[in-house]
Amino acid sequence: MFDKTEIRSGVTVYTRPTDQFKTISLAIKFTAPLTEESAAVRTVLANVLEDSTAQHPSRTELRQALEELYGAVFYTDTGKRGDEHIVTVYAESVNDEFLRNSEGPVFERLLALVKESLFEPNFVDGQFSETIVEREKQSVADRIRSVYNDKTRYANKRMLELIRPGEPASQSANGTEQAVLAVTGESLKAAFEDMLANDRIDIYLLGDTDTEELAERTAGLFPFQDRSKERTEPGTTAAQTERSQPLHIREQQDMKQGKLNIAYSTPVTFQHPDYPKMQMMNGVLGGFAHSKLFVNVREKESLAYYCSSSYASQYGLLYVMSGIDAEQEEKTAGLIDEQIEAMRRGDISDLEMRQTLALLSNSIRSAFDSAKGQIEIFDQYKELDENFRADHLIGKWEQVTKEDVQQMASGLTKEITYLLSGREAMDDE
Amino acid sequence: MMNKIHFEQLQETLYHETLENGLNVYVLPKNGFSKTYVTFTTKYGSVDRTFIPRGGSDFVTVPDGIAHFLEHKMFEKEEGDVFQEFSENAAAANAFTSFTRTSYLFSSTANLYKNTKTLLDFVQQPYFTEKTVEKEKGIIAQEITMYDDQADWRQYFGTIANLFKNHPVRIDIAGTVETIQDITAEHLYECYGTFYHPSNMVFFAVGNVDPDEMLEFVKKDQQAKTFEAPEPVERSFPEEPDQAAEPRSELFMDVTKPKLMIGTKCRNTDMSGKEMLIRELASDVTLDILFGRSSEFYTEAYNRGLIDESFSYEFNLENGFGFAAIGSDTDHPEELEKLILSVFDEARDRWSITGDQLERIRKKRIGLFMRALNSPEYIANQFTHYNFNDMNLFDVVPVLEQLTTAQLQEAFRDFYYEGGQTVMTIRPTEQGK
Repeated sequence: MFDKTEIRSGVTVYTRPTDQFKTISLAIKFTAPLTEESAAVRTVLANVLEDSTAQHPSRTELRQALEELYGAVFYTDTGKRGDEHIVTVYAESVNDEFLRNSEGPVFERLLALVKESLFEPNFVDGQFSETIVEREKQSVADRIRSVYNDKTRYANKRMLELIRPGEPASQSANGTEQAVLAVTGESLKAAFEDMLANDRIDIYLLGDTDTEELAERTAGLFPFQDRSKERTEPGTTAAQTERSQPLHIREQQDMKQGKLNIAYSTPVTFQHPDYPKMQMMNGVLGGFAHSKLFVNVREKESLAYYCSSSYASQYGLLYVMSGIDAEQEEKTAGLIDEQIEAMRRGDISDLEMRQTLALLSNSIRSAFDSAKGQIEIFDQYKELDENFRADHLIGKWEQVTKEDVQQMASGLTKEITYLLSGREAMDDE
Repeated sequence: MMNKIHFEQLQETLYHETLENGLNVYVLPKNGFSKTYVTFTTKYGSVDRTFIPRGGSDFVTVPDGIAHFLEHKMFEKEEGDVFQEFSENAAAANAFTSFTRTSYLFSSTANLYKNTKTLLDFVQQPYFTEKTVEKEKGIIAQEITMYDDQADWRQYFGTIANLFKNHPVRIDIAGTVETIQDITAEHLYECYGTFYHPSNMVFFAVGNVDPDEMLEFVKKDQQAKTFEAPEPVERSFPEEPDQAAEPRSELFMDVTKPKLMIGTKCRNTDMSGKEMLIRELASDVTLDILFGRSSEFYTEAYNRGLIDESFSYEFNLENGFGFAAIGSDTDHPEELEKLILSVFDEARDRWSITGDQLERIRKKRIGLFMRALNSPEYIANQFTHYNFNDMNLFDVVPVLEQLTTAQLQEAFRDFYYEGGQTVMTIRPTEQGK
């Protein structure tokens, strides 16, 4: 779906001409190994880069310039995939044909701003401004701390920390608070130079324009140098922890609902040939409103408003998440076990298989109906299939049998049952 | 008769027909899209709690949370759960209830007409029994409890409750664990009968869809069903004073950082159509100028560490109620409160918004709208929301293009005045000990 051109060693441009959207989109992805420190310093860097540039040396000036470009989008983001850390610079503007605009092409001017942010940063005496660095450190630290306020996310984070301490599976793409506060002007500049010189770089361009010409211009505009490809060969971390029996951990906060999460490990990761089978397995178990968890835990027993499963394929983990009355922990956990047991026995209907195939197919096709969806999904799957298209994956799901799903369920090992609940609920016991 | 309305600048064409039973059907085809997003929405939300039931003559008041409860129960039929049928036909289905609307929807990349049929049928064939109603109470109680633990949610709805003394917008959309206990199947039928008549509803299909085929399909489906004659719905709302009900309130929750939200209340909300659209967009633009990321306020507040990435603001206007809300996580709620109010006071006492500021934000808002048109979800939901207030989503750009600073000032004066504000603070539990 994207045309690929390697413009330098380790720097690839992907383009897709399409008139589906009223916008032109650019994403630049910088990939490096994931560690606590790299995640922290690169996240602060991402924040600092989107704050200002040499020519737009304050937040206000840069934001006003974007507003003048008809509210063009320019932001940075960090994420992780397996044991890699990714900084994404994202820019998007409305295609000129929809604007009564006399001031020249909007996207070109946006590209110039993106270039400034990377190649003409807002340096004071050759360094990032200390005021900005300190402020953005605080900002990232706040973001990390704020996970605590979202109990659903917090429970999931705690669960992962308990079973995969210090590993990529439980590490935040923002780093830790401590690592963020340890960032200095020097370490930030070093990380910046390292990112520009050594990261694997993937550039995406998508929209109703001559993308080939645009790709050439972009390649000329961003003077990235050749780099070694050895640095970040894609890999995943499916470290199987030896555990004689699953953990059972209960923690408390001042809250009303109980968050019951259960994690299982599987030898099947994203690169494993059985990956599509695991996706089907997860769908039958808890990916959708027809799935066993929704039907049995929510609809039949009224125990939860949400009870679903997710497959973290990069880390060989599958987890079930539910929000319940904490006093119903045992009953709910038993019912979740029963659903997995049923699948291991082969208690899977043709209808469940059909529905799951239908909704998996629908979800990937629908995800392609946004520019960002196209970029993100292609970027994830391109390592498996250079010419990735939704149909390729759907074709694989179609091959999956009930026996395959049964086998995938049988390969799950329970690692932890984790309950986060209010203090009162526990005191009652 | 089918109307075809082409919007040249947007390069979009909207198809519309009002059917005999009163149902408004809209179709917007979008080239290149795989999915079709279809919504079926009734003008019935949590604020519609006092009304004359269809066929009745006196006002009744129903238990809080009933519109949302009804939404949940629509999915359960004698033969089972409607989700099963959608899944079999490759559609992701959902529904939501707001203050003023209940919307049922699906998104699919295959079997468009089978799924459309499922949508029309399940929303138009109610099935409620005491047993299924009882069963749902446990599920909704967990939904309410989940929101009870979400500080952002509590703050937003707490701010609204502070602003309004009598208007039912102050009541939680889902009700409380206590109020939903009083809901019966009979209540659900009563509300259903009153608010789910096709003449009180809008059908919107957007994406990969042929407008003629879709209009024909819905028309045939509706012709084959029998409906009572359309009747206007009589709702009753209490008198609402201009003053905020509570100037401030505070809540302790298990959060890491305090949260501050300032709410301001609109005085004049008895409007619709173009007037309302101008008011809404003028208010949005004014807030952008005063509090947006390029504003003096934002720079100062961010540099002083008074706001962080959670900072946001919004403006909401419906017939009968309207408010602006501005909030952030902050270690210094008192200072932030002072700064926000000083920006408001300054604008009130020395109005100084310039044509240049308006020009820049006008461009930003036009771009924002154009980008939003990439999203079928945005188009369907926003169009319906506007439609229920006789506004037209596709007037947004022309109205923005003609907006004047005088209109901004008029909008501002309506949502910022003496006594119309409230401050809601959430503090970490340990600060309360």
